[in-house]
Amino acid sequence: MKIRALVAATVLAAALSIPANAFAYLTWFEFTRQSNSSSPLTMAWQYGPGFYGTQTWRAGSGVSTDACWVGHGWLPTGYYDLKGHWDNYNGTIRGRVFYLQDKTCWNGTWRTQLFIHSEETADQGQYCPTAGDDPYCWDGPSDYYSNGCIKVSRAGNPSDLRLVHDGWHGKSGDYRHGYFTINNWLYVRG
Amino acid sequence: MKRVFGARATVAALTIGAGVAAALAIFGVFGAHGAVPRTGPLSVRTGLKSPPVSFVRGDGLFTSKSGRSQLGAAVSGAIIGPLSPVAVRSSDGKLVAYNTWQKLRPVDDERSFSEQAIRDGDALGIPSLRVHDDAGNDVLVARGAYSAAWSQDGALAFAKGVYPEFRAGRTYNAQIVVRRGVHGHDVAWTTEPAHYVVYAWAGDRLLFYHVGLGEKLELFVADGPGKLRPLADGSAIAVSPDATRVAVLSEDATNVRVLEVASGSELSWLDVTTATPPLKWLAYSGSWVGDHIVAPASAGLAVLHVSSGSLELEQVLSLDQSEFPAGVQQPRFTDAAGNEIAATADIPPANGRAGVSFLLQCDRIARTCDRGAPAPANEWLRQVDESATSGEGGH
Repeated sequence: MKIRALVAATVLAAALSIPANAFAYLTWFEFTRQSNSSSPLTMAWQYGPGFYGTQTWRAGSGVSTDACWVGHGWLPTGYYDLKGHWDNYNGTIRGRVFYLQDKTCWNGTWRTQLFIHSEETADQGQYCPTAGDDPYCWDGPSDYYSNGCIKVSRAGNPSDLRLVHDGWHGKSGDYRHGYFTINNWLYVRG
Repeated sequence: MKRVFGARATVAALTIGAGVAAALAIFGVFGAHGAVPRTGPLSVRTGLKSPPVSFVRGDGLFTSKSGRSQLGAAVSGAIIGPLSPVAVRSSDGKLVAYNTWQKLRPVDDERSFSEQAIRDGDALGIPSLRVHDDAGNDVLVARGAYSAAWSQDGALAFAKGVYPEFRAGRTYNAQIVVRRGVHGHDVAWTTEPAHYVVYAWAGDRLLFYHVGLGEKLELFVADGPGKLRPLADGSAIAVSPDATRVAVLSEDATNVRVLEVASGSELSWLDVTTATPPLKWLAYSGSWVGDHIVAPASAGLAVLHVSSGSLELEQVLSLDQSEFPAGVQQPRFTDAAGNEIAATADIPPANGRAGVSFLLQCDRIARTCDRGAPAPANEWLRQVDESATSGEGGH
C-alpha cells in the first residue's frame, strides 16, 4: 500500500513539475474596442473541453473610432487570420510583431498591413534618442495610439509585449517564426 | 437763412448717410451671419434638399445644374478610403475622374479569410479609374488604377497597379503615372512600385502618399518623372490656393505644419493638443481657401487661420458624438469667404442597423448644418472634389 501511494505521489509530482508550456493549447486573442488608447487585449486558451484560461493586457488601436479611416481609425471588427510572426522584424515596425490579414471595414474600405506590435528596435531593445516621441521607444501612454495596428506596452520588465509574445508561444506550443497562417487567430469586437 | 438751413440739412443728411453706410458695412461683414466665427457646438437639422456641391453616389453623378448623370460604374473608395477623393473634376470643369471597384468575389468583413476559403494570393477585386464628361460619355482610363488628380493644364495623375487585381495577403504595388489627356500615354513618375496613393497637384508638382507597414503614411513630392523627395511623415490636410504650400499632419495626428512645397521648409507649426481649445487630434483631407484651412477633428471640425509665419486654431465646431460617432470626413469650403463648409458624415453600423453616409452643409458663422438624406455607406456618397476649378487649394 505504501509503495502504491509512493508511486502515485511520484507520478503526481512528476505531472505537476512539467511546465505548463509543455502542453499545446488552442490559443487565440480577442481585442475589445473601448477606446483608442485603452482597450483590453486578451489571450485565451482552452486547456480542456469547456475549460479556458485568459490573460489580459491594456492595448490601443488607431487615433479615431472610425474603422474606415485608413491610417487613422481603429481596427475593423471581425475575425482575423495570423499571417506570420517575427521576433526581430526590421521594417518601419520592428522587433516582436504579429502580422494580421487585411480587412475591410463596414463601407468596404480595405485596411492593410496591420500588426500587433509595440515600439522597440529590431533586436528588441529601446532606442530613445530624443526627449520627444521616438518610434522605437516606448515613451508612455500616448504610444498606445497607432495608425490602426494594435499596440501593447513595451514598458517595465517583463513588458506587456514580452508577456504577449512569451504567452503566445507558451500556451500555444507554436514556436514558428516567419510567414505562416493560423486561422481565426484574433477576434476584434466592439 | 435758407442757405444756412440747407447747409445744416446737408451736414445732417451726410452724417445720417455715413452712419447708415457704416452700419450696412458692419452688417455686411458680420451681420449676415450674426457674428464672427466662434467655437461651439454645431446645430444639425435635417432637410438639405439640394446640396450646393456636386456629389457621387452609387452609379450616379449629381450636380445642381444638370441633376443626375448615369456613370459607367458605381463609385468606390475601397482602396483609398479618405486619403484621396473618390471623384475629382478637371480644371476646365468638363470631366470628372472617379474610382470604382469590381468585386471578383464576395468578402464578408466579419469573417476571416480562412473561414471564407480565401487563400493567399486569391484575387479579390480590381480598382479602376473612369472619366465621365458633360455630354454623358464615360470611358475607362485604366484597370488596376486608383486615386486621381487633375493638374491645371489637364494632366491626370493616378496610381497604376503593377497587376490589376487586388489579392489576399499581397501588397497592392503601383506606380504613379501622369497622362496628358484622357487618351494620352502614361509616363511613370515613380521609379519603384510600392503602395502609393495620389493626393493632389501643387502647381506642376505632384503630392502622393507611400502607405507602409501598419498603414504608416509618408507624403512625397514629385517635381517630375523620377524626381521624388520625401516631404513629411504623416498626411496632408490641404494645399494652399496658390499651390506653393501644403498643410501636413504629423503621424500622431496632433501637430500641423505648413510647408513650402518647393523646398520642404517649415513656415509655421501648431500643436493642437495645446491650442485653445485643445483637441485630441486632427485628420487629413480638408481644404484651404484664402487664409483658412478646415480639417476633420476629434471634436468635429477645426478651422485654422494661416498667416505669414504663424498658424492658429481659429474655431472648433463640435458635433454631438452620440449622433456622429465617426465624425465627418473630407470637409471642403464651398464659398470664397471660407464660411460655408460641406462634408460627409458616416454613421457606422449599430444594433443591427447598416452603416450610412450623408452630406452636411454647414455655416460656420451661424454654427448650423443642414443634413442630407442618408445613403447606404457602401454606395460611397461623396462630394466631387472641385478644387481644381475653384480658388480653393487641393484637397
